This record gives sequence, C-alpha cells and structure tokens, in this order.
Amino acid sequence: MRKIILVFTIFFFIAGMVHSSETWAQMTAKPKLLRLTFYYPVGVAGPLARVIGEMTDKFNKENEGRIEVVPVYSGDYDPTMQKVQTAIMAGNPPDIFMVEISELPTLLTMNAVLPLDDYVKKLGKVYWEDFFAPFRENAVIGGKIYGIPFQRSTPVFYWNKEVFKTAGLDPEKPPQTWDELRDYGQKLTVRDPKTGDVKQWGVTISGGWNDWLFEAFVRQNGSWLISPDGLKANFNSKEAIEALEFWVELKHRLKVGPPHSTWGSTPPDFVGGRTAMLYHSTGILTFLKKSAKFDFGVAFMPKKKTYGAEVGGANLMIAKRISKERQDAAWKYMEWMSTSKNTAEWSAASGYVAVRHSSYDDPVMKDHVSKNPEYLVARDQLKYAYGKMMGKNFQKVREILKRQLDDAAAGKIAPAEAMQIAQKEIQGVIK
Amino acid sequence: MKRMFRLPVYSYLFPGLFFMAVFTFFPVFMSAYLSLFRWNISNPSPNFAWFSNYLEVFKAPLFWLVLKNNLIYAFTTIPISMSLALFLAILINQKMGSVRSFYRGSLFYPTMIPMVAAAMLWVWIFNPGLGIFNYYFGFLGFPKIEWLYDMRYALIAIIIMSIWKNFGYYMLIFLAGLQGIPKHYYEAASIEGAGPWNQFRYITFPMLAPATLFVFVVAIISSFQVFDQVFVMTQGGPGDRTNVLVFYIYQHAFRFWDLGMGSTLTTLFVMGLLIAIWLVFRVIGKRVYYEV
Repeated sequence: MRKIILVFTIFFFIAGMVHSSETWAQMTAKPKLLRLTFYYPVGVAGPLARVIGEMTDKFNKENEGRIEVVPVYSGDYDPTMQKVQTAIMAGNPPDIFMVEISELPTLLTMNAVLPLDDYVKKLGKVYWEDFFAPFRENAVIGGKIYGIPFQRSTPVFYWNKEVFKTAGLDPEKPPQTWDELRDYGQKLTVRDPKTGDVKQWGVTISGGWNDWLFEAFVRQNGSWLISPDGLKANFNSKEAIEALEFWVELKHRLKVGPPHSTWGSTPPDFVGGRTAMLYHSTGILTFLKKSAKFDFGVAFMPKKKTYGAEVGGANLMIAKRISKERQDAAWKYMEWMSTSKNTAEWSAASGYVAVRHSSYDDPVMKDHVSKNPEYLVARDQLKYAYGKMMGKNFQKVREILKRQLDDAAAGKIAPAEAMQIAQKEIQGVIK
Repeated sequence: MKRMFRLPVYSYLFPGLFFMAVFTFFPVFMSAYLSLFRWNISNPSPNFAWFSNYLEVFKAPLFWLVLKNNLIYAFTTIPISMSLALFLAILINQKMGSVRSFYRGSLFYPTMIPMVAAAMLWVWIFNPGLGIFNYYFGFLGFPKIEWLYDMRYALIAIIIMSIWKNFGYYMLIFLAGLQGIPKHYYEAASIEGAGPWNQFRYITFPMLAPATLFVFVVAIISSFQVFDQVFVMTQGGPGDRTNVLVFYIYQHAFRFWDLGMGSTLTTLFVMGLLIAIWLVFRVIGKRVYYEV
C-alpha cells in the first residue's frame, strides 16, 4: 500500500513539473505584459471612479497581453497630489497620473514630468489645437507640453428660479453684471423679521476653493494674479483689490452672502434652499440636477469690465523616471483616453466639460446636450476663460491667499492691506 | 546559574522592542535630526541649516495662532469632558437595574463610532439651514449660528463635537475606578453621618485619584493630537481659526512638502507634550494615593 502511494506521489510530482514547465514556456514566449499604474482623483463625486474603471477596462481589452493599466483612485485633488509626490520622492512614481493643473510647476521642480512634444507632434496640430485653448494653457510651460487635458472644469453661476419668482425677479434672467448681482443679492436675502437670523442668503461664493473663484472675479475686472510662466505675482493690482472690495461688500457690509463656507457643503445649501444664487464648479451640475426639487438655471458668472473665468481640473501626465517602453505604453493610453469619442463619453457621464472642440460633434455628446442644454454654458463661457494661475509650491500659495480672503470677508483686515500681504508672501514662495 | 536566565528574559522583550524601535523611536530621533536641515521642494536634497527652521517657526505669526487655537481647545475640552465623564460615571454607578446597561451603552456609543464618520455626521448637525443643532437650539431662543462657516464659532463647534466624542471613554475608566472602591467605606461613612457630598469629597474623589490621573494624561495627549475632525469638518478654516498643531504639521509635511519644517514642528510637538506630561506627574502624580 505504501509503495503504491509513493509511486503515485512521484508520478504526480513529475507530471506537475512537466506541465508547469510547459506553461512557463508558453508564458515567456508571449510578448511581455506592461502593467502601468494610473493615479487619478475625482474632484466631485465617488461614482465617477466607476466610469474611469470602465473606460480603462475597454482599453485593456483592446491591448490584451501587451498593456494593462491599473487605475488607482487616490481621493480628492490634494490627497492625489500627496500620493504622487510621495511616490516620486520614494523613486517609484505611478506611470500615469492626473493632478490638479496648478501643481505643474511643483512637479517640474521635482523633475518628475515627461515632456510630451514628441508624441503630440506625431499626431500634428489637428490633435493639439482641437483642445480648447484655455484648457491647453496649464499644460504648457516654457514652450513644452507636459499634460493632456482630460478632467476639466470651470466655475459657473447657478440660480434658483423659484425664489427669483418669489422675490419678484424674472426667473429667466440671472444677473449679468456685478451691480445686478449686488442688487439681486439684497432682494433675495430673507431674514427672520424678529430675530434677524438669515433664512436665505442672496448669493454664496463657495469657500474651500475660494482662491479659484476669486481669480474669476479678478479676470472679470480685467486683470490676472500670477503670470502664465508661474513666476510673477500680481495680487496687489487695483483690479484685484477692487474684486476683494466687492466680496467684502457682499459678504460683510451688506451681508447678502455667508462670509465663509466649505466647498462640499454649499451645493447642499443650494439644494436645500439656503442660498438663492451660487458660485461653484460645473462639476456639481449632475449632482444639482439629481437633487434639486426646484427649477434652477446655469449661467455665465456676472461681468464687471468683461465676462471672465478661468479653468480648473486635472491633466493626464506621464512620469519622467520610467523606462521608454513604459512611457510609450502610457502615451498609448493617454492618446486613447483623449480621443473625441472618449472625452465626449467622459463628459456626458461626469458633467465635466468635454475638452475638445470635436467632442461636441460626437453623437453621444450631441444627444446628451440636446437633452440637457445647461451643460453647454460652461463650454460657451470658455470664450472668456483663461488658464488657471499656477506656481511653484502652489499648495502654499493657496493657503496664503485663502487666509487673506477669509480674513477680509470677516472684516478683520482691509482689502488693500490683505492683497499687499498676499502679494509679498506669494511672490516669496513662487519666485 | 542566575545570570544565564537573564538572556531569555530580555529576549521576550525583543519583538515588542523591535517594532517600537522601528516605528516609534527611530522616527522620533530621525525627525529631530532632520529638523536641522532645510529640505523642501526648492531644496530637494537636504542642506544642513543649524536651527534656522526653529527660528522660522517662532517667527511665523500663524504658528502662534495655531498654538493659541490648540490651547483653547485643550483648556476647554479637558475640564468639560472630564467633569462630565465623572458626573455621568457616578450617576451610572447608582443602583438602577437593567436600565443601567442601556444608559451606559448609549453614553459610550459616540466613542465607538470612527472619528471620521462622526465628523461627517456633525458637518450635517451643524449645517446652518438643515442641521438639527440650530433647529433644537432655536426652540430655546438661541440665535441661529453658522457654526462651521463663522470664524468666531468654528473652533467652538469642533470643541462641542470632540467633547461628545471623547467623554464616553473617560466615563468608562471612571466607572471602573468607582466599582473598585470597597462598599464598606461608604457604609462606615453613612453610619458616621456623612452626606453624599462629604462621601464624594472624602472617599470617592481621593480613591479615584489613580483613574483621574490616567484620564488626565490621556486627555492631554488626545487634545494635542486632534486632527481628524479638523480635517473633515473645516480643513483648518475659515482663515486658520480651527488650524491646530497636528494639522499644521500635516500641512507643512504633506501639502507644502517642506520636510525640514515638518520635522521641526514634530520635534517641538513631541518635546512639548513630554514636558507637559512630566509636569503633570511631578505636580499631581505625587499626591495620588494608590491603594495596594
């Protein structure tokens, strides 16, 4: 009995060895599989991670056996940047990553991003110039292309049509100018007659990314905050101070809007009727459409000297310190993700602005915007939009600016003085 | 013979000591060492800079605001949550049958929820328009406050939330201490004619001293480690009015990627905390009565 068991054991052992060496030979005969890591944030809401997963699955199927992209959801914009930076510092960067557009100068200081000009040249001007011009701005520094626009947004203006009616305003006419905004804001602010508590704010300019919204106001007043090369700060211009004075007037002097708020809580405030008008990203449009029980509109942000906005969001980038082979594979994925068809699909699913002119000729997109024309407002506003300010150590720039904006909105510091401090400190950071 | 047995005794300590060394002692000393270097995005390789990071910390007005916020937080949460915990522990220690475990469970409940989940919950509770905090306090005639949106109240909101979250743990420790006090002390005292206050003053309070000291030390540590609720509820805003020490360290190390400054702040933080705890043991520890 024992012998039999022994013989069988030896037999199976040898059979197993032969078989496994066969499969080993098969495996090595195949071309090598490149497995790429892709870190990405979703700035707005969770379910969008599923969309990225589905798109990537499709790409992986088309390239089966050669390239496999592994998407890693890495949280909001800030955590994503932290994870990318940590990985770079540890010498093991993700092959592909998508970070908030203003982080480019920081990543360049770390020598972490691959210039894409050679790849882009092969596809020609037709490809590159098909991206909306303001979206291209934050991808280029010193004449070199470092990113491909993908998950892109811009701030817009939302208004609650029903409370417009209640206040005796035309529900189809949002304010067009700063003066109208001030006027409407006063008409739409509702206070408890006895206690004076605010029941409904006129206009909420969201906090959290208020640095981003503030830049739009400065653009509307015909100026800018940081030069496109990311080196010169311009926070103490007459126009910037006027923009902040306008904020202080709305938030502190007239009290028609909350002086401070958080980025995540203002969309629910709007849905809950706590505020009549809201400045926020285009990215929340899908959430508002699903949650709001009233009719609301989307419009350009009111103008001062001109309409004005700046773009936001994240670009796709490739890490510098990985092999050429991996870089080529990463580019293949990025090229695939940025086709007109796929950018259209992403936009329709997410509410982000489609990044290419030709995306809007895609049948999926045509169908989507014919049903939901509000999604076109952000695209049309791009005519008045510019690249977002960026600079080295942008996280610090943001903290400095937000602190001054918050203090000014609470009446703790005069706008001119706040902008002087911002100018001095920020110029010291980005120099 | 005796000597030979010592080696195995120390070797039992090895696994614990090994992980402590790798994950606690080494990082503490490493950050003290790194605090002497300028190491940030502009200087990717560390440059030795003596104590210039420390000077920079003390020169920054924001550091003093952060320290002030954290001290306000500590000086409010520690006494309020400790006295609340002691009061409730004494109440729960009364004879009241099966209701007791229900009360104990519901009072301990906040402690069991993960901090991040609790913080998300309180974002809604404090919501000025929809939240229940303003709703209920409105009935009592309080003005409606924009808790987390308002510079004056954001830190208070975080304090309220933290007291709610932390007192249950302290209460449980007090409760265990109370149950360790022999009953005959109280019997003797009541025969002698001591009322409830005197019983508390002369029996409960001194007998609870070891538990109180423990709770106090834990409360000091946790009040300087406050981070999660700030991260979730306010991100240090508005205008840095809820920025606290650990959040400030996090900003420098992981947002601004200034590792030299991050290490400097960490070192100051650890030293400050050690000194505070040493003082507590020196001043109060001596007076604690341990019944052996």
